[in-house]
Amino acid sequence: MNRLHRQPICVASALMVPMATLATPPWLGLDGVPPCWVVLWLLPWALVDGPISGALAGAALGLVLDGLTLDGLTLVPALIGLGWWWGRIGRRASPVQRSFNLGLLALLGTGILGLTLLLQLLIGGGGGGGEVLEPSLWAWGLHTLACQTLVTGVLAPMLVSLQLLIWRRRVPA
Amino acid sequence: MAPSLWPGKKRWQGLGRLTPWLLLLTGLLLVRFSKGAGFVDAYALLTRPFWPGSAQREWVEAAVDLEQRARLTLLEQDNQRLRGLLELQQSGQTGRDVAAAVISRRPRDWWQQLELSRGALDGIAKDDAVLGPGGLLGRVASVTPATARVKLLTAPGHSIGVWLPRSRDHGLLVGTGATRPELRFIVRDPDVRPGDLVSTSPASTLLPPNLPVAVVQSVDDQAVPFATAVVQLIAAPEAIDWVQVRTR
Repeated sequence: MNRLHRQPICVASALMVPMATLATPPWLGLDGVPPCWVVLWLLPWALVDGPISGALAGAALGLVLDGLTLDGLTLVPALIGLGWWWGRIGRRASPVQRSFNLGLLALLGTGILGLTLLLQLLIGGGGGGGEVLEPSLWAWGLHTLACQTLVTGVLAPMLVSLQLLIWRRRVPA
Repeated sequence: MAPSLWPGKKRWQGLGRLTPWLLLLTGLLLVRFSKGAGFVDAYALLTRPFWPGSAQREWVEAAVDLEQRARLTLLEQDNQRLRGLLELQQSGQTGRDVAAAVISRRPRDWWQQLELSRGALDGIAKDDAVLGPGGLLGRVASVTPATARVKLLTAPGHSIGVWLPRSRDHGLLVGTGATRPELRFIVRDPDVRPGDLVSTSPASTLLPPNLPVAVVQSVDDQAVPFATAVVQLIAAPEAIDWVQVRTR
């Protein structure tokens, strides 16, 4: 059984997620929308360490990121689901390691995460008290979703491949 | 070693193994419910050497002078209008301005917010108005001892009451996520045209009165139930390194 979560240096690398979220410069995003750093960290973690560890890491990072953002929207349920899903994929016989597949998984994950946020806006009426989302809010939501999905999908093959390489060396299957 | 005859011992061993995880969960919940106090304060401490320099601060102060001149004109008009009303509360500035550097900004993300380098220790509290060069930027959503989080006027669902000093029409400025918020009027035929200044209401109690906010860009007379307008904020959150927080 892989024990990535038993290695303090690997666990401590999760601190990079809130720090990167706070410190992302505007030029690193697409039209000002920053990449989804939590997806870029959680994907390799769950692939290496399995579904339970992935779901727990997703919950932990979701709680921290919820603390760093304005009230109203939460990332926790989506991150738990993604951590579990990617952990299941990582348990298959042929390990996921191609750059294209990693980019596709990150792209799908960011899309799902963004859709859950959009859904929460829809249910909460954009903080305005339960009404249906207005066209301008829809347009902004879809634009943010598309930009974040694309920029995360572009960065994933580079960053996730590197993390997978390092972590799989530390905990060989 | 022989197995223990005491069933309680195993239970305590199980609890002992769980303790680090329970402590971790408690820590995470503390981070969540303190709105990331430890993380943001640590981030502020680590990034202190990289905070914007004093030159930009002087530039902001020059812009604030310009804003105050515009505000003075608005106040003079306001005083004339209120001359006969003895019962109305004085609209003068009662709090003080705290200058704070922007240490993290997310004006285009799902959450449209800024993190400031000053917090509760400097007298900043929730709902204080945050001013950029030229006008209102947003309101303080939460504070930690060393930092403050600002909800920008462009954030979805963020709404404040405003008025047009020229026509004295009231409206609601609503954030739609885009860089240009929407101004919704509460009268059927408002006297509004592109170029009109939008400011906080002179009778506002939630925000400082007569603060410049935005300029009307376009008007939609056909909107239902009442007319709406798209406005351009005077203070752009993407390009600001220093802000003033008006404490109460």
